[in-house]
Amino acid sequence: MRFVIIGAGRVGLRTARVLREEGHQVTLVELDRDRVEHARDAGFEVIHGDGSREEVLREAGIEDADGLGALTSDLNVNFAACSIAKHNRTWTVLRVDEDYREGVYQAYADEVDEVVYPERLGAIGAKNALLGGSIRAIADVAQHLQVVLMTVTEASPMRGYTIEEVQLPANATIIAFGKAEESMGLPLSDDTLAVGDRLAVLADFDVLEEARQLIVGETLAPEGGTA
Amino acid sequence: MITAYVMVKASSGDVGRLKREMAAADDTVEGVSVVAGDIDYIVKLRVDGPSDVKAVAASIHEMVGIEDTRTYIAMD
Repeated sequence: MRFVIIGAGRVGLRTARVLREEGHQVTLVELDRDRVEHARDAGFEVIHGDGSREEVLREAGIEDADGLGALTSDLNVNFAACSIAKHNRTWTVLRVDEDYREGVYQAYADEVDEVVYPERLGAIGAKNALLGGSIRAIADVAQHLQVVLMTVTEASPMRGYTIEEVQLPANATIIAFGKAEESMGLPLSDDTLAVGDRLAVLADFDVLEEARQLIVGETLAPEGGTA
Repeated sequence: MITAYVMVKASSGDVGRLKREMAAADDTVEGVSVVAGDIDYIVKLRVDGPSDVKAVAASIHEMVGIEDTRTYIAMD
């Protein structure tokens, strides 16, 4: 497919790379001359110009693009680009600069099909790194609800018990189970938890730590960390 | 009569509550619009004098979930 991306900074250029790796055609639009050159050095087709202007977007081929990613750090530019693209019936993705604006644009901006707040995904990655190898956040379902993949360790209090016997807190539920080295499937009540098995748990943030202690069994802070 | 516009930057996505509170902040508030871009709302005021503008803008600024306001007085 063909995509136009406004902004060749850390978000836009990275997105362009991922799309290119998957075989898609990408045209970038960038105002800053240094960034234009940087992106051209990386082999991208780059239009030097203001992505909030119609003639610039037309030059980038918005009229027959499958999608537009308005990914600059300037919300005014991003919104203008989406408005122009929507006029051409293009699928539009808008980057917001603050988390509270995610919901506002989803609710109010008809010109915008999807809203992204890159820092949210960055925070999930940072959280995974902090929590270590036995727990991994998969998705934020809602602000207080997330799906977390937990791996049973030697220290797990529930090791040797069946799924039926695992008493998670009220606001948490096991949604998938996989034996070590095997693929995940729906949990069966008589599946037994052994070291290396993984459980996908849907949990409210308030009870996440309790669920983690039951299934993973380690304390949250790395050993030697300050109390 | 003076027309003034207050540009409002929020820090909360609670649009329903903020719109309601700003609309009810004073009798002089003529309208509240949710806008795209680096500000979130534009509030239109119709007041008797510049001092009234200040008072209404200050009451909006003090609301929970409002980060900043900038006020512009129309000259025509």
